[in-house]
Amino acid sequence: MSYDDVEIEDMQWNEELQAYTYPCPCGDLFQITKEELKIGEEIARCPSCSLYITVIYNAEDFADKKSNNNLEPPKRQAVAVA
Amino acid sequence: MAMEVNPTSKQTIIDNETQREKVEEQLWSWGAGTDGQLGTLRLQDEHLPQLLNVPSLSSASSVSMLACGGAHVVGLTSGGKVLTWGRGNSGQLGHGDMDCLLSPKIVMSLESYCITQVSAGWSHSGFVSDEGCVFTCGDGSFGQLGHGDYRSHCSPVKVSFFVNKHVEQIACGMRHSLVLLKDGSGNLLYGFGSGKRGQLGISIDRIKSVNAPEIICGFDDVQIITITANADHSAALSADGELYTWGRGFGATSDFLSPQQSPSSSKFSKVALGWNHALVLSDNGEVFMLGGRHHGMLSNPEITTLSKHLSDGAVLERVPGLDGIKVVDIAAGAEHSAIVTEEGVIKIWGWGEHGQLGLGSTRDESSPKTVSLGDEVERKNVTVRVYCGSGYTYAIRTFCS
Repeated sequence: MSYDDVEIEDMQWNEELQAYTYPCPCGDLFQITKEELKIGEEIARCPSCSLYITVIYNAEDFADKKSNNNLEPPKRQAVAVA
Repeated sequence: MAMEVNPTSKQTIIDNETQREKVEEQLWSWGAGTDGQLGTLRLQDEHLPQLLNVPSLSSASSVSMLACGGAHVVGLTSGGKVLTWGRGNSGQLGHGDMDCLLSPKIVMSLESYCITQVSAGWSHSGFVSDEGCVFTCGDGSFGQLGHGDYRSHCSPVKVSFFVNKHVEQIACGMRHSLVLLKDGSGNLLYGFGSGKRGQLGISIDRIKSVNAPEIICGFDDVQIITITANADHSAALSADGELYTWGRGFGATSDFLSPQQSPSSSKFSKVALGWNHALVLSDNGEVFMLGGRHHGMLSNPEITTLSKHLSDGAVLERVPGLDGIKVVDIAAGAEHSAIVTEEGVIKIWGWGEHGQLGLGSTRDESSPKTVSLGDEVERKNVTVRVYCGSGYTYAIRTFCS
């Protein structure tokens, strides 16, 4: 069963891993690539353990576009909403 | 990820031991170790407790506390020196780089300060000096360092907001931090960093994040003496032994955007937070849990699903299997729990996939099991303390003559 449901905006883009990541309770990171999101995958797995999370996202945001080379992942920038 | 109610008095005891009684102090670690967080000089998990050989620690006198984060450890010596090791990719070790360290190393930039309390979050760290200054380093992308921006730092930086205040404690969660000021300084409790689940407690509205400290509401008539944070949870204990929690709900309960007192007839002396549960220790040595009904069943999908739906996580329940046992210390990892009995015996339960239970296997345990620290030599006056990181555990065993 999925360890948690996590919104894509709460995941962090990791340049090194080329994946969106979220902390795993084992200490490693749950990971999902843009390619996986593009084909509708919603499970982010941890490479170190059996746990996985369900990623909540809008499929349209990651659907193949004509010039997808320009589709840079949104830079993780937290903004204060007071 | 837990805090003593009175760290100063504990430290004094240890200081006395160093001078008069202490014969030997042992550091043991087990569980997830692929980032060097076990201090074993190996990058691998350990399913049984490993006795560490750490010259940098023994030469620096005794360890007054450990703070165990996502995959890094902050050690504080009784002389006020700070050592860090484990994962350093966000600068959380504070050595001016982003390297991992397989063994404890003194944080040189804090050498001129006497540090009295430390905390380790998922990928950031906090340090409090005897003069009431607070320093942070590591990942700052959610504002959790409190410097008014979203920058990360690989060396400890003084939080300027508190320059004219006297900070007593800092508690680092996954992406947020709490700061407690010394009594008498006015508004006592501050939060900064990610606040999406209410873990900052600074507003009745949901706040995505703040990058500078803001006052936590609801403690006008309450004297808070200890704070703790882990994942998206926050907790505090009052001088009267009342437990307050806020942030992400436990079990099936919804998030609390402001501190809530847990109704109980017991007075609590220590609180430890996991990612989905809280452990609390009462004055008379009993251990209670919030949201822990499926604790120790992570690898059993059916039970987990069923109990998650049935559980009422807001209710404090006594941990079963500890009848007649007086508990003196508690600690919580992300999904495991550890306690120490009056006799110095470590009992542990919860998720075991990385060997974090130290029982020689990777099985989960739903009730407390006894951990053996190598050859159990019968010696009198043994003091044991436990500390849990996300997927690993530390124990400090002190022998006195």
